[in-house]
Amino acid sequence: MFENVKLPEGMNPETLEHLMNPKNYGKLDSASGIGVALDEKTKEYVIFYTLLDGEIIKDVRFATNGCQDTLVIGSMFTEMIKNNDLEYANGAIQKMHEKLGNLTKQQQICAEIVFSAFIASMKNYENLSNGETEELHLFKMKDSCDAVGLGGENTEDE
Amino acid sequence: MNKLYQAKHELWLHITFSSFAIENEEIKSRLYDFSMIAFRHMKWVGSSVLESGENYNYDRNMILYKQDSVFEILNSLKLKIEEIQELYLDTVLFQRIKTDEIYLLEYISETLKNEENNQPITSFNMKRKWLDKNLAQEQIDALTVFLFDESYKEYELILVYAYMQARTNDILQFNIYQDLIDESHFHLKSFGNMMAKLGILALPRELHELTYIVDDLQQFIVDGIAEEEAAKIMCKELSDAVKDEELSKFFDFINFQENYHIELMKKLLQ
Repeated sequence: MFENVKLPEGMNPETLEHLMNPKNYGKLDSASGIGVALDEKTKEYVIFYTLLDGEIIKDVRFATNGCQDTLVIGSMFTEMIKNNDLEYANGAIQKMHEKLGNLTKQQQICAEIVFSAFIASMKNYENLSNGETEELHLFKMKDSCDAVGLGGENTEDE
Repeated sequence: MNKLYQAKHELWLHITFSSFAIENEEIKSRLYDFSMIAFRHMKWVGSSVLESGENYNYDRNMILYKQDSVFEILNSLKLKIEEIQELYLDTVLFQRIKTDEIYLLEYISETLKNEENNQPITSFNMKRKWLDKNLAQEQIDALTVFLFDESYKEYELILVYAYMQARTNDILQFNIYQDLIDESHFHLKSFGNMMAKLGILALPRELHELTYIVDDLQQFIVDGIAEEEAAKIMCKELSDAVKDEELSKFFDFINFQENYHIELMKKLLQ
């Protein structure tokens, strides 16, 4: 699916379609887990809603105040994992990492914030399953779109 | 009441983007005037919701269909207006809104009578060609990214400032928000019409409450100033990249407008 992924610098019709009509965009009231990844420097966030049925991702939504790269990657990634199982989703992250290797550092950070929001939604699901009360799970990004802050690991909110 | 607010929000967008999509300058201009009236309706409905002790949000549930002709757009808009009229209550505010919309319906009906108005729509064809300009592909690409980024950003600013304006009792703040909203309307209109020319007209994505519910106003304004600075850089880069005198002048003009936005925002910090 991602063989032809090229973000705006080499805009193709698929990318344009995701820009004009992002897929799975919005909120999901019945989500099993909700995760947010936040770039504290730019205040860019991605919020991810995941609805599970056992190991299957039955539905998924995301929203962001970020740039168009983040939007396109979120749209593509949600299309990829919807109706697949968690193992596939984790593999998809790896596969997208490989496919997105040629992107600029900034675009890779946009991809990272999308993936981190999905992982945060899974962490929220895990915490809720363990009886914790948590509205959503927050990851703070160490790498920022604001290129000054590159390098480091993402952290969970304390 | 939130359901009604949501419907008003969607109608404002519907009229606005119908205006952008239609090339005929007379129809475009009339619809845009109505869209600004619809935005005021939305603002008044919002105030009414808050006065009643309830709240509203910016959730919406709409699709901008890629229509092929002016009449398809107008007929779709007509249906939307007729639907919303069923939701109104019997108050002075809603009577006012209703009569405005009935006038718009009459305008649409008159326009639909003249078959010459039924021109094809190219605003959604994704061709990314600006017919009366000779732009290289990389210039078109740069312009495309800019227009998607900035049309969303202007929509976001309009709604965020409107949300804060509705919740302040400070006259200075109220007036500054109004200036910023007015400026963003102009920018959204400019960018929306450009997107239509390029065949890439699309609704800005929905705002999540994480974007418009602001806990720390000071920090929000500081971040907003940084965003305006970034927008200035984008305008400058685009002005340099798009080797077209008319477009370059336009993006320089937008760039200089951002300077004053920053001044207005600094006043909010005082």
